[in-house]
Amino acid sequence: MFRFLHSSDLHIGKRFGNLPEDLRGRLREARHGVIARLAEQARANGATTILLAGDTFDTETPTPAMLRQALAEMGHHAPLRWIVLPGNHDSLLADQLWEAARSVVPDNVTLALRAEPVTVAPDVVVLPAPCTARRPGRDLTEWMSSAATADGTIRLGLAHGAIQDFSEDAAASDVIAPNRAVRAGLDYLALGDWHGQVTVNERTRYSGTPEPDRFKHDKPGQALLVSIAGPGSLPEITPVDTAAFAWRTMPLHLLGDEDSAMALDALLPAAPLRRQTLLRIAASGRTRLGGRTALVASAETASHDFAHFELDETDLAMDCESDDLDLIDRAGALREAAQALLMESDDPTRSTVERDIARAALVRLFSYAEAVEP
Amino acid sequence: MKLTALRLHNVKRFAGRGVAIEGISDGVNVLSAANEYGKSTCFEALHALFFQPHTGTPKAVQLLRPYSGGNPMVEADIATDEGRFRLTKQYYGGKRASVTDLASGRLVAQADEAEAFIAGLIRGGTAGPAGLLWVRQGITGIDKRSNTEEESEKRVRESLLSSVQGEVEALTGGRRMAEIAAACEEELYRLVTATLRPKAGGRYAATLEERDKWFALEQRLATEVTTLRDALDKRRIALTRLAELENPDEDAARRAAIVAADKALQAAKSHSEALKAAEAEAALAANRRDTAARALAEFRAALQRAEALRQQSSTAQHRRDEANERRAAAIAANEQAIAAVQGAEHDEHEARDVLTRLDAALQARDAAERLTDLRHRLLQAETARKQVEDGEAALALLSLPHQAVDQLQALEIELVGLRAAQAASLPTLRLDYAGGAAGSITIGGEAIPDATDVNFATSLRLDIAGIGTLALRSNRPPQSDQALDRAENKKSSMLAVLGVDSLASAHQRLAAAREKNTELNLARQRLTDLAPKGLPHLHEEIARLTALSAGDLELKADPEQARTRLAAATQQVAATRNSARETQPLRSQADEAVVSAETTHAALQAELAALEAVLGPENDRSSLEISLTTEHVTQKSLHDATEARAVPMRAAAHDLAGAEAASSRTRSVQDAAEQQMGQLRVTLADLNGHIQARSDNAVEEAWREAAESLAAAAQRVALFETEIAVLDRLRKALAAARSAARDLYLKPVITELLPLIGLLFDDISIVFDENTLLPQSVRRNGQDEDVDRLSGGMREQLSVLTRLAFARLLARDGRPTPVILDDALVYSDDDRIERMFDALHRQSRDQQILVFSCRQRAFAKLGGNVLQMQDWTPPA
Repeated sequence: MFRFLHSSDLHIGKRFGNLPEDLRGRLREARHGVIARLAEQARANGATTILLAGDTFDTETPTPAMLRQALAEMGHHAPLRWIVLPGNHDSLLADQLWEAARSVVPDNVTLALRAEPVTVAPDVVVLPAPCTARRPGRDLTEWMSSAATADGTIRLGLAHGAIQDFSEDAAASDVIAPNRAVRAGLDYLALGDWHGQVTVNERTRYSGTPEPDRFKHDKPGQALLVSIAGPGSLPEITPVDTAAFAWRTMPLHLLGDEDSAMALDALLPAAPLRRQTLLRIAASGRTRLGGRTALVASAETASHDFAHFELDETDLAMDCESDDLDLIDRAGALREAAQALLMESDDPTRSTVERDIARAALVRLFSYAEAVEP
Repeated sequence: MKLTALRLHNVKRFAGRGVAIEGISDGVNVLSAANEYGKSTCFEALHALFFQPHTGTPKAVQLLRPYSGGNPMVEADIATDEGRFRLTKQYYGGKRASVTDLASGRLVAQADEAEAFIAGLIRGGTAGPAGLLWVRQGITGIDKRSNTEEESEKRVRESLLSSVQGEVEALTGGRRMAEIAAACEEELYRLVTATLRPKAGGRYAATLEERDKWFALEQRLATEVTTLRDALDKRRIALTRLAELENPDEDAARRAAIVAADKALQAAKSHSEALKAAEAEAALAANRRDTAARALAEFRAALQRAEALRQQSSTAQHRRDEANERRAAAIAANEQAIAAVQGAEHDEHEARDVLTRLDAALQARDAAERLTDLRHRLLQAETARKQVEDGEAALALLSLPHQAVDQLQALEIELVGLRAAQAASLPTLRLDYAGGAAGSITIGGEAIPDATDVNFATSLRLDIAGIGTLALRSNRPPQSDQALDRAENKKSSMLAVLGVDSLASAHQRLAAAREKNTELNLARQRLTDLAPKGLPHLHEEIARLTALSAGDLELKADPEQARTRLAAATQQVAATRNSARETQPLRSQADEAVVSAETTHAALQAELAALEAVLGPENDRSSLEISLTTEHVTQKSLHDATEARAVPMRAAAHDLAGAEAASSRTRSVQDAAEQQMGQLRVTLADLNGHIQARSDNAVEEAWREAAESLAAAAQRVALFETEIAVLDRLRKALAAARSAARDLYLKPVITELLPLIGLLFDDISIVFDENTLLPQSVRRNGQDEDVDRLSGGMREQLSVLTRLAFARLLARDGRPTPVILDDALVYSDDDRIERMFDALHRQSRDQQILVFSCRQRAFAKLGGNVLQMQDWTPPA
C-alpha cells in the first residue's frame, strides 16, 4: 500500500494585480501557506509523499526569497517527500529558477527535472514528464510507455499539460494522450495545469489547484489523497481541503416582483466564512426598478463582509411597468424623461450599448427620485 | 370633461349620511355656504375620487374617514366627449371603484380598470396637467417652496414662478426635477467638466492617470521580460555551445588531429630534404660529366687549330717583310718633296719682306705731305669758330620777339584811333586872326595858331594881350579817357619789357638783328667747310698722320721688281706643295700595309702560343688525350648512377605545403575552440549578471502584476465611462423633458396669462423673461418692483389666473377641464374680487368653474349657477 498526496498549480508568487491592494498580500501569502496545509493533510492522512504536478511557481524568475522560502517550507516538513515537477509556467527553460532551486533544495525535496524514473519508496517509481518549454509542442508523457521498471513496481506518472484542448493557456497543440495511464502501464497518472479538479479516467486525474486563484472553476481548493494497494490495483482517491480562500460564483436568479435583497441574503454564505471568501454574484432573470436598486444597496452592504465581492448584473433584465414610473412621477417632465429613457432602453433600433446606458440612466433616475421627497 | 354632480356618503363630518350637489352646469357654479358647512369636505372627497386608488389607505384617504369610522364613498357624474359617466369609489370596507355609463346604465369598468379609466380622465396622457385644476384656501404655492429654496435670487424667482405655474409645477417636475437634475449634475461634474473632459483631481481623472501609469509600467516591464527571456535563451545557447566545446572527446579529437598533422608534416619535410640532396648530387655529377666532355672536345679542337695556325703564320711573316720594303721607298720620296717645298717657301718669304718695307716707306712720305695741309686747315677752322662765337653773342643782345613788336604796332594803331576819337569829342577852339592880331592871344604863353582847330579837355585859359584872361571850361565828364589810358599803360609796359623807348627803335633793332644773323650764318658755313667732321676729328687726323710720317722714308729697291719676284716665289711654293702632297698617300698606304701585316702575324703567333700552352709539350699530347677520354667516360657513368637514385625520389614527392596547411589548420581549430570557450565564458558572465539582476527583481511577476493591474484599471476606467455616459444621458433626458414641457405649456400658458393679468390689474404689469420664463419684474405706477414684493392677495389672484390660463390652454387643445376653487380668494379685497368675477365669467364661456366659498355676501355678486347641498342616500 502506497499513499501520497497529488496536487499542482500552486502558482507561488502570483501577485493578483487585478484585485485591491490590501487583498493581494493575503492572497499571495495564502499561496505560500498552502505548502504547510498540504503537508498537514498528508500527515493527517498518512501519506508519505506529495507530488506537485507543475506550476509550483508562477513565473520563471521568482524572487530568490520566494523560491528559498518555498523550498525551505517544504524542507521543514521532512520526512515528507516532495516531488516537484516543472510545469508550463516554471518550465525547464527557466534554468535560472531550477539552477537556484538546485543549490538550496532540501534533502526531502526532489526536483524532477529529467524524464527518468524516480524511486520514491521501495517498489514505487515516479515517471516525471517535466515541461521542457512553455509550449513543448509534443506529448511529453510519450517516454513513459517505453520506460522499463522492475516487476512488481507501482508506476506513477507525473505530468503537466492539457489532455484535450482545455488548457489554462488555451493554445495547446501539445496534448497528453488521455489513455497514457493504460498505454504506459501506470497505476496512476497525476496531472497538473487545469485549476479545477477533473477525473479523466479511473487512473488519471487533475488535482486542481490547492488554492484557487480565479472564479472560473468555482470549485474548492483541494488536493487528492491517493492510495494504491499494489501494482495494478485501482487507486483509491479522496479529495482533501487545502484552500485558505474560497472563490465562489453564485447565481442569483430573480423573478420580477421578488424581493431581491432577501434573495441575495438567502444566498450569501455563513458569516464566519465570509472573510475568506471571494464572492461573485451572477444576477440573472428579471427585476423591477425598485428591486434593482434594493439589490444594489443590499450587495453594497454585504460586500464589506467579504474578502472580495462582485455583483455581476449583466444578465439581469429590468422590468419597468407604468407604476414603476409612477414612483418617479405620475406626470410632468420627470415622468416624460423616465418615459423617454424607458422607450430608448427597449428600442430595438438602438445599439445594445445605448440601450444599456438608457436603462442604467432610468435606474439612476429612479434612485434619485427615491432620495428626493415627493 | 365636465362635472355634473357630486355625491358623498360617510365622509368626514357626514358620518352615516350623505350629501349631494346636483345640477352642476357649464360656466361658473358657486357653492356659497358658511364655514364648517362641508364645502372643503366636498372638495377633498372629489380630490380623493380622482387621485386616490380605492385599494389604498394613505393619509389622504384616512382623513376622509369619519371619527366614528365607516367606509367613505364618493360619487361623481361627469360628461365627456365619449358620453356621460358615473364614477364611484368606496374606501376601506367594501372598497370598490366603478364606472357606469349613465346613458345606458351599463357598468363600464370596475376595480383596477375603473382606476385606469379615472386616471385617463385626469391625466389625459402623462404629459398634460391633471384634468382638474385645483386651488385651495390660502394655498398659493409660494410659501412652502420659498422656505427651502431661497438660496439665490434665481431660486426666489423660480419659486415665484412656481406659484405662477401652479400646476405647471407638475409639468416641469418642479422642485423634484430641479433637485434630481442637480444631484445628477453634481455627481457627473465630480467626474468630468461641463465638456465631459476628465475633471482634474476627480476620481475619473485619477483612474485614467492610474491606468496610464500601469500602462507605462506594463510596457516597460514587458520589455524587460522580453530582454530577460532573450538573455535566458542566449545563455542557454551559449551553455550548449560551451558544453560542446568542453566535451573531452571532442577536445581529444582535436588534439589527435594536431598530432597526426604534425607527423605528416615531419615526414614530408624529411623526404623533401633527401630529395634535395639527391638532386644536388645528380647535378654535381652531370656537371662533372659535362666538364670532362668539354675538356676532351676542347683538346681535340686545339690540336686542329694549332696545325692550321702554323701554316697561316708563315704566310703572314712573308707578307710583313714585303710591306716593310715598300714603306722604306715611300718615305724617301716623300722627304725629297718636302725639302723642295721648304726651299720655295724661303724664297717667297724674302720677296714678301722686301715688298713690305717698300710699301711702308711710301706711306710715310705721303702722310708727311698731308700733315702739313691739315695743320693749315686747322688754323683757319679755329679762326672761323672764333667768328661764330662772337656773332652769336652779338645776336643774342639784339634779338627781339617778333610777335611782341607786332603787338606793339597794333597797340600803336589802336592808340591813334582812340586819340582821334577823343579829339573829335573834345571842345574845339578856332581862331581866325584879323590882320595884325596874330599872336595876340596865347595859351600858357604860346600863341594860338591862326585858323587852326585847338582842342582842349577840361579847361583852357586864354591870355588875351591887353585884355585879360579868358577861361574856357568844357565841364564834361572824364569817363571817355579810360580806354585810352588802358592802351597807354599797356604800351608803356610793353616798351619796358622790350627794352626800347618807341616802336621805331624796336623796328631798328629788328633790322640790326637780321643783319647780324646773316653774318653769323656765313661764318658757320666756313667752319663746316674747313672741318666737316668737326675740330676734334681734325686734331685726331693730325695725330695719326704725325705717327705715320715718323717711319723710314728711304726707298732702296724698285717696288715693281719686288712685286714680280714675290709672284714667282709664290708660284714656286704652290708647285712644290702639290708634288709633296702627291707623295704623301703612297707613304700612308705603305705604313698601313706594314701595320696590318705585323698585326696579322702577331695575332697568329699569340694564338698559337696559347694553344701550345693548352696542348702542353708535343710529346705528351697523345697520352693527355687518352686520359681526357677516360675521365669523360668515368664521369658519365657516375652521373647515370646518381640520376638513377634521384628519379624514384622525385616520383614519390610529398605535398609539403598541404601538410603544413593541414597542421596549421588543426592548430587553428583548437585555438578557435579555446578562444570561443573564453568568449562564451565572458558572455555567460555578462548574461548571468543581467539575468540575476532581473530575476532577483522578479520582473516577470511584476510584469504580470502590472498587466493585471492595467486590466483592472482599464475596467475601472470603463466603469467610469459608463457612469459618465449614464449620468450624461440622464442629464440630457431631464433637460430635454424640462425644456419640452416648457416649450409645450409654459410659454402658451404665459401667453394666456398675460391678458388675464391685464384684465385684473390695470395698474400693474408683469414682465416675463422669454428664455427662462421667470417673472422678471413687476411694474407698478411706473415703478419697477422686486417680484417678491407681491402681496398675498395678488399672489392668490395670480394663482387663480394661472389655473384659468391653463384651463383655457387645455380647452383650446380640445380637453376642457373643470377649475375648482375652494375659498381661493381670501386675501383679496372686494374690488379685486369683482374684477376676478369678471375674469371668471369671461373665462367660463367655454369653461366649467366651480367656486366654493364661505364669503356668501361677497360671492353673491359673482352670479352664475348657484349650487345647493342636499341630503343624499346612496342607492342600496
